Amino acid sequence: MSLFTICQWIQNSDIGTSIRESTYVFPLVEATHVLGLAVSVGTIAIVDLRLIGAVMTDEPVTDVIEQLQPLTLGGFLVMFLSGALLFWSEAARLYPSYSYRTKFVFIFLLGINALLFHFTTYKNVDQWNNDKLTPLRARMAGWIGITFWAVVIFMGRWTAYNLK
Amino acid sequence: MSMMHLFQWFDATPISKVIRDSTYIFPVVEVFHLFGLTLLLGTVTVMSLRMLGMGMRRQSVYEVARNLMPWSIGAALLTIVSGILLFLSEAMKCYGNAAFPWKMGFLLAGIVLYLLWQRRVALPNSRMSKAQLAMIAILSLVCWYGVAIAGRAIAFV
Repeated sequence: MSLFTICQWIQNSDIGTSIRESTYVFPLVEATHVLGLAVSVGTIAIVDLRLIGAVMTDEPVTDVIEQLQPLTLGGFLVMFLSGALLFWSEAARLYPSYSYRTKFVFIFLLGINALLFHFTTYKNVDQWNNDKLTPLRARMAGWIGITFWAVVIFMGRWTAYNLK
Repeated sequence: MSMMHLFQWFDATPISKVIRDSTYIFPVVEVFHLFGLTLLLGTVTVMSLRMLGMGMRRQSVYEVARNLMPWSIGAALLTIVSGILLFLSEAMKCYGNAAFPWKMGFLLAGIVLYLLWQRRVALPNSRMSKAQLAMIAILSLVCWYGVAIAGRAIAFV
């Protein structure tokens, strides 16, 4: 059974079909996806901007990260679940899309970027918590975060234009 | 000049034609519209929650607003400028679209709220009561989420 066959099966399932054919569910799920994206990526952007020294430089890095984390994770959950529903309804159409595949490559890379930062540079944040100019590796993590999320948004929007 | 003539005029500008004739300009402008929206809603959400006593409570309302409001304004300008370009290219599609007046209503309300009231939150000497801050926060959330939801609805109604 190929991946494409699985995608066809997902798309043709009862739930997939009913989302796709509903007048209201698909637009509502898509709107939810955009709002989840705004809250999660919007707050991620604030953290990244703090890391590169562009915003809240008078506030400790840990204050920014710890206090925004619930919004980032909550927004991400909303974005992920609504995205899963959108995929459910169009899995076979999305399968061949290069922009859709590229989006997930970049989401994966963003995960690695976040984990690397969290388990290396952020471990000794006490030493640079109040610095306006954070260590090079923290600034790099911030720049990568901003640019890669921009790519994810670009690829996500592009996918809608290229569906056959 | 009727409203329809006005929209027809917007629909026929040289910029409108350039965007319509290109395969790529519209999607690219729309992506920048989304960048702006993301940063705008993200910062508005964080500021509004703080004004409601949630989120970044280790910082004062003033500290959060002073830091984030310039980014909200920049993001709003990016969203509005890109939005005008998108509108010009499909003005006649917006004319008669049931969601479009709602979007413009929420947008106008959000701008008025900012100019008359909200911007004072980022001033050091503004003394606002908790009730005032909460009112501004809720109105701001309604306006900007309203713009986003009504905007997304344009494609579907």
